[in-house]
Amino acid sequence: QMWQVGKRQASRAFSLYANIDILRPYFDVEPVQVRARLLESMIPVKMINFPQKIAGELYGPLMLVFTLVAILLHGMKTSDTIIREGTLMGTAIGTCFGYWLGVSSFIYFLAYLCNAQITMVQMLSLLGYGLFGHCITLFVTYNIHFHSLFYIFWLGVGGLSTLRMVAVLVSRTVGHTQRLILCGTLAALHMLFLLYLHFAYHKVVEGILDTLEGPNMPPFQRVARDIPVVSNAVLNTTAKAVALTL
Amino acid sequence: MQQTGVFVKYLKKMSNFEQFHFDFYQSNYTIDDQEEGYNSYGSNENLCGSRKSQMGEQPPASGFAPSEMLLSSQSYTGQILQPMYSPDTLSHLSYPDGFDEEPPLLEELGINFEHIWQKTLTVLNPMKPADGSIMNETDLTGPMVFCLALGATLLLAGKVHFGYVYGLSAIGCLAMHALLNLMSVPGVSHGCVASVLGYCLLPMVILSSSAVVFSLQGILGTLLALLIIGWCSLSASKIFTSALAMEGQQLLIAYPCALLYGLFALLTVF
Repeated sequence: QMWQVGKRQASRAFSLYANIDILRPYFDVEPVQVRARLLESMIPVKMINFPQKIAGELYGPLMLVFTLVAILLHGMKTSDTIIREGTLMGTAIGTCFGYWLGVSSFIYFLAYLCNAQITMVQMLSLLGYGLFGHCITLFVTYNIHFHSLFYIFWLGVGGLSTLRMVAVLVSRTVGHTQRLILCGTLAALHMLFLLYLHFAYHKVVEGILDTLEGPNMPPFQRVARDIPVVSNAVLNTTAKAVALTL
Repeated sequence: MQQTGVFVKYLKKMSNFEQFHFDFYQSNYTIDDQEEGYNSYGSNENLCGSRKSQMGEQPPASGFAPSEMLLSSQSYTGQILQPMYSPDTLSHLSYPDGFDEEPPLLEELGINFEHIWQKTLTVLNPMKPADGSIMNETDLTGPMVFCLALGATLLLAGKVHFGYVYGLSAIGCLAMHALLNLMSVPGVSHGCVASVLGYCLLPMVILSSSAVVFSLQGILGTLLALLIIGWCSLSASKIFTSALAMEGQQLLIAYPCALLYGLFALLTVF
């Protein structure tokens, strides 16, 4: 009896490892390749007349999703976000992985409807590298708390990565209506996700920052950027000076 | 009657053999000159393979043959009678019966302080190139001690997070094991990954002990945390790449390790 249970467990474990081997070729990368692809993901391609090559690897996107989880966690911790039903870690992982896998599947389904030439792995890879812009934006704006700076980053960095994804998809689709549907959906979801991440996990920061910084600070006031000399204030003033000189 | 007496003694010796699951692996990097006889044997083994049972503190030449036979007996666990053993070879071995002459407890448990110290020194000095055979034995004593030390120093700072430490280490081990199996040509075992990740947790213990003295939530704390995360992940990736022969991919291994140790640092800082 125990023998059969053991055998069943062993065969289950074996099939699990056999499944993992399917993913093996997608992880065969060199650091230079990953770096090149990260930089490429911010550069929209100009030529949309012939299908653009998409690297079908999963290491970079997986690491980017985990980085996004880490940045979200850091932002939630610094802003003392309290999640009532669930844990911080669970929320962060659920949000990021849910976006990556869910939106990839949805766009893949739409691509199937619109006759675009893209495989699931390529879609996962494309969207994963598109999260690089999100990572940069959130990393910067979770530490420097300027709304205008966030909007600049949202349009600039988020826009660039969205444009790249859109350009690649456009190059692989024929027909104006299909292109419009596919790319419009992807652009909307991508930009809205960044907006959601910024506001859902960060809006507590403004009020809390005023109360946390220094014992001589008067109690919570809704003043615009009236923060005494601490590290964040130094960063803020630096950012202001840079923005003014530009 | 004499034969049954010999037989009983034989059985007792066999039962002693079954216990030697965690005996010492005579690796190359210690300065012991007794181990020359084992060098060629060690190079034939798989990296991070399953438990090996070998003789520790043996006179080199004569103990060689029985240890080889002992390895083949590992595949027959459950059968006490091993007809290939003859009483002659058994007399060479220095683990006789008797309560007074039993091997010391640490040896039986497989806790080799010398090896633990060597590995700790390797972790603490990330610039020194690591030996590839360093992680051939699955030693979980050091990692357990470091996890407990991390929990204890967190406790000193007022945070009772033992459960978080264990949970994070377990999930981190599983994830790293999956990733390393996907990225390397020879596979790794869970024990090997757990061992390496546990040893490289030592700088995190230093971070959490400094959290007792001053709060880590300022710029100095952030910088220190980043430094420690870099140190941990550099050591871990160095050991992994040297053990798995993945040259050129050290940065790719270091980044997931950095994410994992970053989570530990989040636990420590906040």
